[in-house]
Amino acid sequence: MTPDLATQQLRKVPFFQFLDFTITELAETHAAATMPFAERLIGNPIMEYYHGGIIASFMEAVAAISVSHGPDLQPPKPINLTVDYLRPAVKGALMAEATVTRKGKRMASVRTACWQDDDSRPVAEGLYHFLLV
Amino acid sequence: MNLKIEKVAIDGVLVRMPYNPAFCADEDKTLLHGGVLTALLDSVFGLANFVAIDGISSMATLDLRVDYLRPAKSRADVMVRAECIRQTRHIAFNSGRIWFDEPDQAEVARGAASFALTRGEVSIFDAMTQSRSSK
Repeated sequence: MTPDLATQQLRKVPFFQFLDFTITELAETHAAATMPFAERLIGNPIMEYYHGGIIASFMEAVAAISVSHGPDLQPPKPINLTVDYLRPAVKGALMAEATVTRKGKRMASVRTACWQDDDSRPVAEGLYHFLLV
Repeated sequence: MNLKIEKVAIDGVLVRMPYNPAFCADEDKTLLHGGVLTALLDSVFGLANFVAIDGISSMATLDLRVDYLRPAKSRADVMVRAECIRQTRHIAFNSGRIWFDEPDQAEVARGAASFALTRGEVSIFDAMTQSRSSK
């Protein structure tokens, strides 16, 4: 599946329309996406930082796509997540990538990172577990 | 998110999030996306800290962990209870739970987080609420 096709499919999910991100890379165990800045994603209106929960949600979406993408596949069921917030995410586009570290018959474990201008300076990192059955 | 604060106390806050189809994960619009629950916990933890801890100027989430206990499949309002379980000079620790406002009140998610606190005279929370009320 191409990134464009994956993005089109995502438009069917109301919450993903709210986040309004685009898939930029899609491979067997990897996905990347970009999300434009919007007022509704702000958590700290004085400093105009992204809301931490929005960052976690964005990474969760990209993590889920990296685990299973295809026209007929059910989305994986999230079990839990852990996010480390490393820096404030300021006004501007947000990038996320997800890499499946292990995918078994029942479970998948995914590592994610989120950054803005420089991918060596992540704003957050995440670890997500999904149930596949 | 259109949050409504129902109870505020030093030992915890209770917040209601009305049903919003934009936050759903399915075309049927009955399954709430997990990310919404995560964002909700993050917000309400912040509120719990501002209520429980004196003299906070601002805070930043250090880490957040969420367990999704069952599918969030309902159109009922979402209820969140969050508390600051321990505070130090620089760090606050939080715990929270989420359920739907319906008869069985089955727990949908549980979360834990830690926040880095910035102390000072001017509170960002006051600045936010004042700017909102002046609009």
